[in-house]
Amino acid sequence: MRIARTVGDDPAVVVCYLAHCLLNANAKVDEGARCAGVSLPVLSLLRAHGATIRQMPCPELGFGGTRRFWAVREQYDTPAYRAHCRRLAEPVAAQVRADLAAGARVVIIGIDGSPSMGVELTAADDSWGGRPDKPRDEDYPVTPGAGLFTETLLGLLGEDVQAVRAVGIGQDLFDYDEERELAKLGRTVAGEGDPDAR
Amino acid sequence: MRGDGRSRRVAVVPDAYLNPAVGVADRLAALAEAGWGVMALPQPGLPSDLEGAMLAGLADQLATLLDDGYEVALAAPDDPISRRLNDLLGADGRRIRDTVTP
Repeated sequence: MRIARTVGDDPAVVVCYLAHCLLNANAKVDEGARCAGVSLPVLSLLRAHGATIRQMPCPELGFGGTRRFWAVREQYDTPAYRAHCRRLAEPVAAQVRADLAAGARVVIIGIDGSPSMGVELTAADDSWGGRPDKPRDEDYPVTPGAGLFTETLLGLLGEDVQAVRAVGIGQDLFDYDEERELAKLGRTVAGEGDPDAR
Repeated sequence: MRGDGRSRRVAVVPDAYLNPAVGVADRLAALAEAGWGVMALPQPGLPSDLEGAMLAGLADQLATLLDDGYEVALAAPDDPISRRLNDLLGADGRRIRDTVTP
């Protein structure tokens, strides 16, 4: 495959900050990966839009390792994990600011349903803890709200957050509908409804 | 439940793989089609403190993959940022020895 941008001509127009696992499903929990490595549909969409791609770190991989169980926000929400997220998010926030200063449109692409990377939907439940006996699918407690890393990153951006679009792709949702999620992502990357989009 | 679909193969790639010039072969897509996941190095030209912070985070994530026996390979072993990453991992006794060419 050769790069031949079809929607945008200037790669600087939109800079997309991807949740780590969209380019590396090896960071997901066991049974959480929807592909072997790179999400090709997401990559193809971003290529078609001529987007500049940046990969964000995976806070859960470095903190809980590859053998971690799936979890909800309450299990990760400790001062140590928040400090870990902040350490990883600070360089991302600095890059986002630099891209905005250079005139780029910035889109942060998270994972809806994730306790760390969710944007509009996360997973939260006070009852989770102890014996890991919760089935992932039917009982996964998807809840409106952002994940801990996303929340940290958006907080670090301060007033600059107004200039950033954030969108979640629902790969951690039981009823994940790839066509629907890619359409949503495509609209956001294209700047639909964004008066500043060029 | 979907089973474990992870390939357990991760290529550490320079920014040029994520953002190739127009007309250049898409090496990221080639790695993707071969089942590799990728971890991107910081783009060239960042301030050294910013690059250092990003490499430190990357090294933490890679350490867990290396320790758990995942196949980790460098796509551009002669790239200066790849070398700095390996130096950082080497301080803790780890090293990425393999290379991958899409």
